[in-house]
Amino acid sequence: MIQVTDLKKYYKGGAIKALDGITVDINKGDVMAVIGPSGSGKSTFLRSLNLLEEPTGGSIIFNGIDITKKKYKTPDGKTVKLNIDKLRQKMGMVFQHFNLFPHKTILDNMTLAPMKVKGISKEEAEKKALELLDRVGLKDRADAYPIQLSGGQKQRVAIVRALAMEPEVMLFDEPTSALDPEMVGEVLDVMKELANEGMTMVVVTHEMGFAREVGNRLLFMADGKLLEQGDPAELFEHPQHPRLQDFLSKVL
Amino acid sequence: MDQFIKIENFPLIAPYAELFWQGTLVTILLALFTVIIGFCLALILALMRMSNLRPFRALGIDADGHAREKGFLALVSRFNPLEFIATAYVEILRSTPVVVQIFIIYYGIFSIIQLPSFQILGFIRFDRFFPGVVALGMNSGAYLCEIIRSGIQSIDSGQTEAARSLGLSQGQNLRYIILPQAIKNILPSIANEFVVIIKESAITYTIGVQDIMSAVNAVRGATFIIIEPLLVATAIYFCLCFPTSKVIAYIERKMSRGDKR
Repeated sequence: MIQVTDLKKYYKGGAIKALDGITVDINKGDVMAVIGPSGSGKSTFLRSLNLLEEPTGGSIIFNGIDITKKKYKTPDGKTVKLNIDKLRQKMGMVFQHFNLFPHKTILDNMTLAPMKVKGISKEEAEKKALELLDRVGLKDRADAYPIQLSGGQKQRVAIVRALAMEPEVMLFDEPTSALDPEMVGEVLDVMKELANEGMTMVVVTHEMGFAREVGNRLLFMADGKLLEQGDPAELFEHPQHPRLQDFLSKVL
Repeated sequence: MDQFIKIENFPLIAPYAELFWQGTLVTILLALFTVIIGFCLALILALMRMSNLRPFRALGIDADGHAREKGFLALVSRFNPLEFIATAYVEILRSTPVVVQIFIIYYGIFSIIQLPSFQILGFIRFDRFFPGVVALGMNSGAYLCEIIRSGIQSIDSGQTEAARSLGLSQGQNLRYIILPQAIKNILPSIANEFVVIIKESAITYTIGVQDIMSAVNAVRGATFIIIEPLLVATAIYFCLCFPTSKVIAYIERKMSRGDKR
């Protein structure tokens, strides 16, 4: 589904290497957890996938198109400009700090993009939004403003806001790091449910329990490099790379 | 030694009260039109400064199709003529005295463009008032531009990231997400600029706009009394500016409540 090859993100002409040659395939239905010490490039990697960060080298093939280039060739040989907005619709993203729109109600937060980007009617968008809110137990807060919600509620709204666009893959950028401990569970539950439904997910996280139980693949990054990847249980039990051994000994 | 303020002088200038009333009205109108012109100009300038027009964009892409990182071509590819013009305008207007700008516009531009000489409301000379508004408007446009720009930039970048990741285009993001939040932050600053312009507009008496200061001058010319008309002008300016800025501060406090994310 997404093939990442030798992905690089350099700053200051290579003096700072946020991403230093990442190669990984993300298959449909994968729940991929990305772990690593802070500053290891996990978030940069995730944000590169939907081009919130522009990579300086390598390629990301998404549904057959190299999205790191401004133009691509269609099968019939025409050169087409990459439509970045079209691409991002297919990738939902959830942020550490929720990033709900504070001037809009929960319902408006959820219906804005489907209406303005996909051109869905207001009734249809609201019906869909309420269904999604019901799934995460927040239907009764539809008319509230983000400020009136707790952190856990905000993050659940942020997840279903992304789902309202019916993305093919969901990107999570440390979705529980800004939450109070007692709210982490409710957000992880929603993510677990999503994973069980077969959603393709890439999750940058510090929740080792989630990475181990829910993820079917685990990536370990440090210093902008992908040092180890594989089955989560296997990696947690028998880490090969000394950096991973060191990291796990500190966080577990 | 003579007294600084002579009470008996006030009755002497009382016959000229009409001039002060007219001057007050002119000052308020001047400030109002200036803010309107300034705001429209500022919005255009701010959007120009933040625009993404790069005619040499293609030069910044290497043979491989990736964006160039540095070097001369990358620099050229990032050149935005709109941004350059707007930035130059703002910096020049902010780095030169208002009185110079007013003189250049009045004696320069409006000596080429002939304005019809009629009077608004029977006493406002259009051919003096209009250049005054234009000059002040151009000046405050430069300042308001920075206010609008900082208002837009004060919105957390996460808002843009969330909007873009949902598939909203740059324009949609600006229209639905950024501007509604930014305008709310900017409004008090625009109202403050209005107060600043009330005070600054006093300079326009130098080109013959009949504002409060020109009333002072007229009285001085007719009666040779200086301090007392100036005190009247001081009182008028104070009564215009002080309550207005207090009201703005009050509204600002009320609006910032319940604003935390």
